[in-house]
Amino acid sequence: MKYSRFMIAVLLCLSLAVGANAQSSDSPDSSEYLIKAGFIYNFAQLVQWPSTAFLQADSPIVIGILGTDPFGGIIDRVIQNKKLEGRSLIVKRLKRGASVKDCNILFVSSSEAAHLDEVIQSTKGMPILTIGEMPGFATRGGIINLTLEGNRVRFEVNIEASKQANLNISSRLLALARIVPQSAEAKRSE
Amino acid sequence: MLPIRNQHNGSLTATGRILSLMLLGLFVGGNASAQSPQGVPDISRMSIEDLMSMEVTSVSKRTQRVADAAAAVFVITQEDIRRSGAASVPQALRMVPGLEVARIDENKWAIGSRGFNGRFDNKLLVLIDGRSVYTPLFSGVYWNIQDVMLEDVDRIEVIRGPGATLWGANAVDGVINIITKPAQATQSGIVTAEVGTEERTAESVRYGGKLGPSAYYRIYTKYFDWQPSIDATGKTAHDGWDAVRGGFRVDVQPSKPNSFTLQGDLYHSNYNETLTIPSLNPPYSSTFPNDGDYQGGNVLGRWNHSFSRSSTSLQVYFDNTNVVDNSLFTDHENVYDIDFQHDIHVGESQELVWGLGYRSIQDSNGSSSTVSLQPSHSKLNQFSSFLQDEISLFDRKLRVTFGSKFEHNDFTGFEWQPNVRFLGNISKDQSVWAAVSRAVRTPALTEEGLRLNEAVVPPGSVNPPNPTPFPVVAAIFGSRQFKSEDLVAYEVGYRVQATKSLSLDIAAFYNNYTNLRSAEPGQPFVEGSPVPTDIVQPFVASNKMSGGTYGIEPFAEWKVRPRWRLLGSYSYLQMDIGKNKNSLDPTADNPSGQSPRHQFYLGSLVDLPKHFEQDISLRYVDRLPSLNIPSYYSLDFHLGWRPGTHLELSLVGQDLLNSRHLEFIPEFINTTPTEVRRSVSGRIAWKF
Repeated sequence: MKYSRFMIAVLLCLSLAVGANAQSSDSPDSSEYLIKAGFIYNFAQLVQWPSTAFLQADSPIVIGILGTDPFGGIIDRVIQNKKLEGRSLIVKRLKRGASVKDCNILFVSSSEAAHLDEVIQSTKGMPILTIGEMPGFATRGGIINLTLEGNRVRFEVNIEASKQANLNISSRLLALARIVPQSAEAKRSE
Repeated sequence: MLPIRNQHNGSLTATGRILSLMLLGLFVGGNASAQSPQGVPDISRMSIEDLMSMEVTSVSKRTQRVADAAAAVFVITQEDIRRSGAASVPQALRMVPGLEVARIDENKWAIGSRGFNGRFDNKLLVLIDGRSVYTPLFSGVYWNIQDVMLEDVDRIEVIRGPGATLWGANAVDGVINIITKPAQATQSGIVTAEVGTEERTAESVRYGGKLGPSAYYRIYTKYFDWQPSIDATGKTAHDGWDAVRGGFRVDVQPSKPNSFTLQGDLYHSNYNETLTIPSLNPPYSSTFPNDGDYQGGNVLGRWNHSFSRSSTSLQVYFDNTNVVDNSLFTDHENVYDIDFQHDIHVGESQELVWGLGYRSIQDSNGSSSTVSLQPSHSKLNQFSSFLQDEISLFDRKLRVTFGSKFEHNDFTGFEWQPNVRFLGNISKDQSVWAAVSRAVRTPALTEEGLRLNEAVVPPGSVNPPNPTPFPVVAAIFGSRQFKSEDLVAYEVGYRVQATKSLSLDIAAFYNNYTNLRSAEPGQPFVEGSPVPTDIVQPFVASNKMSGGTYGIEPFAEWKVRPRWRLLGSYSYLQMDIGKNKNSLDPTADNPSGQSPRHQFYLGSLVDLPKHFEQDISLRYVDRLPSLNIPSYYSLDFHLGWRPGTHLELSLVGQDLLNSRHLEFIPEFINTTPTEVRRSVSGRIAWKF
């Protein structure tokens, strides 16, 4: 058994040594946002907007990115030359406080976490699919929250918020989502 | 000992990684159908389901899909399990091409990959969340104690063919990897209850919650009681069983590069069977109802750490298994295992993986007049290491993986198990792969020290002849000379996304086995003193069988409509296994006739309006000539209704075409097989 103890000791030392060199894993070339861009493109296909959301039958679907853009150019490449029921897709980058009323989809960057309630309030009553990626986004009144589970992307849906926005989310999407309730606090603020 | 390659929670490793590692190519091809020529996936062509199966790899721009590998891989998803109506892991495995799944009685299964099927199949490696459930006793799996909360399963990955380079000895003909969801994904409660015509009842409860800002847990317990089925004459058999189990899982990610998992289970199960054992007195064998129980537990901890260009994983587990068969045998096993793995990205086009592992196994057993094992206490040490490199060439159009496992065990010493794999992208929608690998199946404790009395030939018998005045005991003996069984496998595969809705995956293989186990007659000896009672004719485990197997396994998926999916697979297997010229093994027993030559599976999954689901599957399993089992068709049906997000009701019919049929006859231990009956069951699941 001496040998085996030795082995364990070697393994532990090795892993500790490796651990000591730890660096941040916030690698800029993560595939996370490539996948998230794919999710957003899929959401655009699986959500129905009321006809009032668009000026004309061929008005584009506008994806707003509010705050610090985590996608780089990825999302632009994903939607480039795509058409959904005759509508093209365009991406607009918005600064904090900018009007969101032209957006059909609003991606709220985590840079806006501190102002989340204001952002949610600014979309109230408008047919805007709000998408976030921060804890509590959906329970606080956002419609879809992207989460990481292990290293796969998952999403939460607040059905109540989607109804308030007059959006119809396909049951296929709902079947894959984690359904979350609106928190009492968010309800009160209505 | 197995490296840690199937954990899925953790910031970087993942099961996909298995594939990424072992199977080389993961994605050169990536998704053949959704990959631009530059090797970057065309994400807009992927469905939301595809996206959900993709790994976020923090160390590389590459993303990978489990199904795209230079190996024959089939993934059973949570959705597949739910919609199949499967009540156990073996039932869920019935949909996998290239696997043979046969029920022996209510609590015993024979499950094999690409041949050699049997209750004591020893060429298939099974892991649950990175923990090997392969018993060193007979190099196989106690299927009746491998259970999980099916709702918590993320997916089951089945790799046909050798996975030895990464997984180690005994991953000869396949690896089955059962992966449960991380605790973050089960943050709710679920209660299920099930009743059926088979007088089966089952209940389970799971609850998940938060322990802190980035710490999640779940706990579960489940119980089932299966009443006996019927024997070949239509009478009630003695094969009921019940089991209770519970467990927990905690996942913590205190800071981005680190994640920890701690999980464990405890279980206790009682089973019944009808056993026949030889005896020295007339009528020289006795058949009687026998009982036994299984109990045990396990605990596993894992630490994943990611760096900017590499990642490490350290996994430790302890597993305790106790088997008490009231008339045959008792066995107590403790397994301690530690594995370390390091993945390094070298430049833009290389991924290097290496690992070290150690496993200690303590076994103590008790014998009966029928079965005994020497020594009654043993301690085994296994050391392993592996190294594998994956290189992308020609603008990622070709991916080459090569590497080897180096292992040391107490039976046969040093073993090496290399492989080389190629994955090539013919076009955007097509890929081909090929692999050559070597794998060994190391000896089990029983193959070294077993004595199993198989039959008694009465004195004066003519056929088989026994001219002596004593009963002759035909007994199987283990041998210290028994060596590893060897395989060199040649595999090829082709995948195509023929149209937007139709995909096809074909794998073919030729396996060349040497040193397979045979039972060679030894020198007879007299037992009993001072008065002789019987003569023993030993049959000693030896390595004098060899031969080849080949087969082809096409699988197709057709999305006929957005709400209608059709699945189809066919498995062809030809086994040319025989005794070597110098073998004197007299048994007609030949593995070739115990696995079906033809199998097919057809499935239809329909999403109906009003949240109904209707699923039908049809299976065909060819006859098993050496067991005298006729071929059969089996039709299963599942109707599900999810009226809200909390409630799910389902109605499941199984084996609807036949009132009853026999699927297998077990080898070595003579328990009476029982018949699978047509059954209907109802199930309710409430989520809160």
